[in-house]
Amino acid sequence: MQPMIKVENLTKRYAGVTALNGVSFEVQRGEIVGFLGPNGAGKSTTMRILTGFIPATSGRVEVAGLDVFENSLEVRERVGYMPENNPLYVDMRVSEYLKFRSKLKGLPRGERKERIPEVLEMCGLTDVSHRIIGHLSKGYRQRVGLADALLAEPDLLILDEPTIGLDPVQIRQVRQLIKGLGKRHTILLSTHILPEVEMTCNRVIIIHHGRILASDTPDNLMKTLHAGGLIQVEVRGPGSEVQAKLRAVEGVESITAKLIEDGCVRVAVTPKPGDDPREEIYQAVAANGWTLRELTRTRTTLEDIFVQITREEDEAEEERREQRGSSLR
Amino acid sequence: MRNVPALLRRELNAYFASVLGYIVILFFLLVMGVSFVSIIGELLARGSTQMTVMEGFFSWFWLPSLFLVPAITMRLLAEEKRAGTLEMLMTAPVTDFEVVLAKWLGAVALYTLMWAATGLYVVILRHFSGEQTTLDLGPIFSGYLGIVVIGQFLIAVGLVASAMTRNQVTAFLIAFALLFLYLIAIWFGYYFTRGTTLGKVFEFLSAFEQMNDFQRGVVDLRPLVLYASGTVLALFVTTRVVESRKWR
Repeated sequence: MQPMIKVENLTKRYAGVTALNGVSFEVQRGEIVGFLGPNGAGKSTTMRILTGFIPATSGRVEVAGLDVFENSLEVRERVGYMPENNPLYVDMRVSEYLKFRSKLKGLPRGERKERIPEVLEMCGLTDVSHRIIGHLSKGYRQRVGLADALLAEPDLLILDEPTIGLDPVQIRQVRQLIKGLGKRHTILLSTHILPEVEMTCNRVIIIHHGRILASDTPDNLMKTLHAGGLIQVEVRGPGSEVQAKLRAVEGVESITAKLIEDGCVRVAVTPKPGDDPREEIYQAVAANGWTLRELTRTRTTLEDIFVQITREEDEAEEERREQRGSSLR
Repeated sequence: MRNVPALLRRELNAYFASVLGYIVILFFLLVMGVSFVSIIGELLARGSTQMTVMEGFFSWFWLPSLFLVPAITMRLLAEEKRAGTLEMLMTAPVTDFEVVLAKWLGAVALYTLMWAATGLYVVILRHFSGEQTTLDLGPIFSGYLGIVVIGQFLIAVGLVASAMTRNQVTAFLIAFALLFLYLIAIWFGYYFTRGTTLGKVFEFLSAFEQMNDFQRGVVDLRPLVLYASGTVLALFVTTRVVESRKWR
């Protein structure tokens, strides 16, 4: 089947700055893909190119098999886009705005009459449909942007930072909404909030300095990049002795310890790759007659992976720069 | 052109949903009302003259043109760029030219509407001029035609200015400078080169000279072509400036 988005070797240069450097990726129909990267990584630029707002410097971009440069209008008809910061006409009423947008998107009158109440309902806007957008809270405005993106029942939804600036309750609501939409639409959303991707997306594309560093399911990324995770141990017993014994346990790579109040010690154990020494740790503690207060395995979070990947990339970049520098000398 | 009606409606709503439309009209009517009264006073004091009241009135057209046209156009594209709504607009299946055209049409509509309100002065004149003087409506109509023909071009120029920046104040100042050049500088050029070939060119280009003809009841095809081409050019330039985000 034809992918929903196909990006090949995409490069974008602004005056002197390379925002995107040879980016390639695909998004299949029905996927919810999270675009993850620090601010300025190139997420918004990629989205603006996908929606035809700005062209690429070089490379090929297709949406639903259509070239976004040559068939810009057709592509825009198939895409629902919510730009960064969700710009809206703040002087319009919600329903008025959606009516205006549905006309631009070419919805015939009859369809418009059905579709607007539908998206109002879906986004929880029915009660505020007569309010002026400028008077709404940020959470409601975000939903207006989302309702707008949904109007023409697009094949593809592109959402640039859909939960930015919302409070935790609103974030949850928007995430729920997006998750529900995934059943009928292909979604590409960008964020720099990691739990968001873990919660809503089937796949993550990590982008940094205009380059794609990783692309996989959140689970696979965690498996391949950081097996095991850390093991937290808290023991009541003599600090240095506990540390020595634990360090000697089979399958333990390294430990870091912290003494806490009334004779307890807290140790973070890094296991050897592929090993799970929790049972051995328990036995070591029990054999010495100490009391085990806690033994947990902390799952690696996407955050760890993200920090790790971007750090590796920064170091590699640094090295390349040094090599270039030395070869010049 | 499918999207122009929807875009135009949005433009007109924007004028009257905000206070801006009302302020512009209020200001305009205030200035024009004062000039109307002073013209009548002047002409009454002078006794019989070569000039009709409406001729005197139309000759003040440059004043609202110079200040109110930039005030109307400054917001049009600059504000969309600043607020980021241009991105939302241009990523809908709408062409850049449709947006530019709708903005221009909306501004021309507001401009025409506010001048149309001064039609009341004609009614007042008619009421008080008594039986012995009849009002010649021909030159009044052609005068209004001139106002709209010249004004729609000035608005297109203001739109170019608005496309060039994301700051409304800057847009106002650029538009003001361009209109000043067109209205005042060209007239001065004409004034100092009268009788020469260059003077003829300046005369043809000068809005004051063209307006002179219009308010005397002379409707020539040449100024109509001149201002229509000027507008087409200005709208084309505006579209290119809006598109320039694509080749920067």
